[in-house]
Amino acid sequence: MTLFDELVAVTDPERVTDRPFDLHLHSADAGLRTGEATVVVFAETTEEVCDVVRLAARHGVPLVARGAGTGLAAGAVPTEGGIVLTLTRMNTISDIDPVNRTAWVGPGVINLDLSRATAPFDLHFAPDPSSQQACTIGGNIANNSGGPHCLSEGSTVNHILAIEMVMADGEVVILGGAAPDPIGLDLRGVVVGSEGTLGIVIRALVKLTPDPPEVRTMLCAFPTVEGAAAAVSGIIAAGVVPAALEMMDQGMLVAVENWLHAGFPTESAAALIAEVHCAPEAADAEVDVIREVAEQEGATEVRVARDEAERALIWKGRKSAFGAIAQTAPNYYLHDTVVPRTRLVETISEMYRIADDADLTMMNVFHAGDGNLHPLIAFDATEPGMADKVHAAADEMVAACVARGGVLSGEHGIGAEKRDLMGTVFTELDLDAQARLKHVFDPDRVLNPRKILPAGSRCFDYGGSPLPEGTWI
Amino acid sequence: MTVSTQVHRPESIDDLALVLRDHSDRERSLAVMGGGTHRWMGYPVATDAVVDTSGLAGVRVFEPDDLTVVVGAGTRIGDLESELAAGGKTAVLPETDHDATVGGVIASGASGYRRARFGPTRDRVLEVTAVTGDGRAIRSGGRVVKNVTGYDLPRLYTGSFGSLGVIESVCFKLWPVPERTVTVTVDDPERVRSEVHRPMAFLDVSGAHRVMLGGTGRAVDAEVSQLGGEVVEGLDWPTRPRHGVRVEVRVPPSHLPTVVSRLNGDYISQIEVGIVETTVETATDVLALRADVEALGGAILVEGGHEVDPWGTPPPTLDLQRRIIAEFDPHRIIEPGRLPGGI
Ligand SMILES: Cc1cc2nc3c(=O)[nH]c(=O)nc-3n(C[C@H](O)[C@H](O)[C@H](O)COP(=O)(O)OP(=O)(O)OC[C@H]3O[C@@H](n4cnc5c(N)ncnc54)[C@H](O)[C@@H]3O)c2cc1C
Repeated sequence: MTLFDELVAVTDPERVTDRPFDLHLHSADAGLRTGEATVVVFAETTEEVCDVVRLAARHGVPLVARGAGTGLAAGAVPTEGGIVLTLTRMNTISDIDPVNRTAWVGPGVINLDLSRATAPFDLHFAPDPSSQQACTIGGNIANNSGGPHCLSEGSTVNHILAIEMVMADGEVVILGGAAPDPIGLDLRGVVVGSEGTLGIVIRALVKLTPDPPEVRTMLCAFPTVEGAAAAVSGIIAAGVVPAALEMMDQGMLVAVENWLHAGFPTESAAALIAEVHCAPEAADAEVDVIREVAEQEGATEVRVARDEAERALIWKGRKSAFGAIAQTAPNYYLHDTVVPRTRLVETISEMYRIADDADLTMMNVFHAGDGNLHPLIAFDATEPGMADKVHAAADEMVAACVARGGVLSGEHGIGAEKRDLMGTVFTELDLDAQARLKHVFDPDRVLNPRKILPAGSRCFDYGGSPLPEGTWI
Repeated sequence: MTVSTQVHRPESIDDLALVLRDHSDRERSLAVMGGGTHRWMGYPVATDAVVDTSGLAGVRVFEPDDLTVVVGAGTRIGDLESELAAGGKTAVLPETDHDATVGGVIASGASGYRRARFGPTRDRVLEVTAVTGDGRAIRSGGRVVKNVTGYDLPRLYTGSFGSLGVIESVCFKLWPVPERTVTVTVDDPERVRSEVHRPMAFLDVSGAHRVMLGGTGRAVDAEVSQLGGEVVEGLDWPTRPRHGVRVEVRVPPSHLPTVVSRLNGDYISQIEVGIVETTVETATDVLALRADVEALGGAILVEGGHEVDPWGTPPPTLDLQRRIIAEFDPHRIIEPGRLPGGI
């Protein structure tokens, strides 16, 4: 039997496809890189996932897990061909426990649907990527995704208590648990963020966060990017960690306003969106601190949303910003890097310089409170040589962040996109340690091969080792 | 632990690497001594020698406005927290174990009572530099508050009890110290759940309920007047029960009332977290409760060296854990056998 026939035998003829259109659709994510899927399978049960993993191993073909395909680092792109295993149909939410504030969730559940399902209990799932209307919990776990409200609540990993996972040999394991600090090594913690390279997540026990009694959303306009960035540091230095603290630069404000007409301050060089979540009295106090710091740093306008509608509009502008770019250019390349918060101003200036020098249009909308930058280069891919130019500028921007004590990615992941840059932040020994972890979980490199780690990460792949003989097992 | 004759006190990561490589080559085992405050946890191990981490102490980089600090593993957490407090920050480390070291807290995965609001320590471990059992100095994570660059080894190190290497330094994410903090002893714990949005800590201390609140002066005033009860300025942490065999129960929080109803001694129960610290006269006293707690998906830790298994039933992923450890400590020389399952 061919691989295709065997996949049909363990699933359902309706849920295995190699039609060119389907393959094309499942060979890319929301980023720029593409691959070539051999076959696509839609799994519905644990047994099916186990069988598909075993078939991949037996046939020696790569297996790439896929959620909604909104990833931006080519994590779900089958760069080496093989089986794309889509988990969107495993979308059950069960055991919502309002006392312990937990729920068991299938990997295919859409992020926003989870918070909708738990809303009757005044609970929500804190990580809120801007793509939350589409992206899945499986993808959130695999990428350790963030979002505006991760400033005070932390990224996905802080909200995952246990993971049920299919290992590379087709066995099912449960990592972590409902009680705090499960004994033994924290394998749950290292599987979150592993981008489908250590196992296939088939269910997760998520931690739910109580809805705040009071929410205040503010929009502060600044005449300079420096002023806005200084306000970010100032607010935190004043002892307030808002629920969210986001920045949009002028390019982004104009793009969003042209489309949304929500009164974003298009005359300003930058705007901050700040949100506080607390008890009513505490909210007033924090709003005052933020207003004071913003005004001190030269804010020309500080607006507090008067009602839920105004609040929703501000967030719509923020979360749909990438969509609004379509009016500027047909394509965009969105990057994700982090620098220490105090280096924001100089890093952003350097990014504008890099874009200017390359004659590229760049704008920014990002998680300023975390120092998590999202420079976005808008371009037209049909222009000859454009793609190379964009990639070169983007690499230069990443290097500018690393030079300032930053890292390659804060929330989108490394995937295929940045694996070759890993050597700019880690030594050979550091990468070897990570490769050893991968080796233990997936010795035959079936699960999403050639992602995260650059080729030759295991030291003995180099044919020599920097340590005396005998130190290696 | 039996008294070992040889004590190594490395003063740099290179020193530490030499000690480890040498011991690995000769397959001689090592214990790691920080403050010794977590020695009660896990199987007791007899080793050929000891690594004393006090030579790896001190704050290396404190960036208050970035909310990060890089600190040597041998630093006492009491010293670290006072240095941070001078800059208006906290690493939210365990509040009453001043003599514990940074390395010890991370290796044992210990958290403070304020995890009710700020999450467990592992959520704030941004970067770990460690030397593996066979002497490789490796760094993972990064010095920024949000990072997905590579596998999250810092989390794996948190709670690893030395099995992946000796921790040399750590970068923590910090939180600002609130303008005002108070401790309120409340008569009706139900009111805390309805009136207070996310307290810093919420404890049941042998039947008396204490809640710790923090924030701007105005905000704290408002919460206190809603709540009622007896108010003390500052954070008034309870003293851990001392007499007898040390025990820690971990359960999904909804089961705490059942757990504490079955205890005889004094206890500190972390409401909404699910951890109870207590002591028992003889270790075997916990066996009946342990069976029930494990059935709920929890665990009971018992001080090592008594007639009861210190961890209880090991996790089902023991083989996987053993294979990971083999990649980091191939001759299994650092505190061998201390972890659940005796690995
Ligand atoms: C407009 C837009 C805005 C975005 N905003 C944000 C943001 O604010 N914050 C943020 O962090 N990200 C953001 N993203 C990126 C992306 O949405 C997230 O990374 C998201 O979590 C991916 O989920 P997905 O279901 O689409 O996963 P996919 O793209 O399908 O897959 C992502 C990775 O997860 C793996 N994977 C998927 N399911 C599983 C599983 N069950 N088991 C194991 N591995 C699995 C894949 O192999 C791949 O490596 C944005 C993307 C877009 C297009």
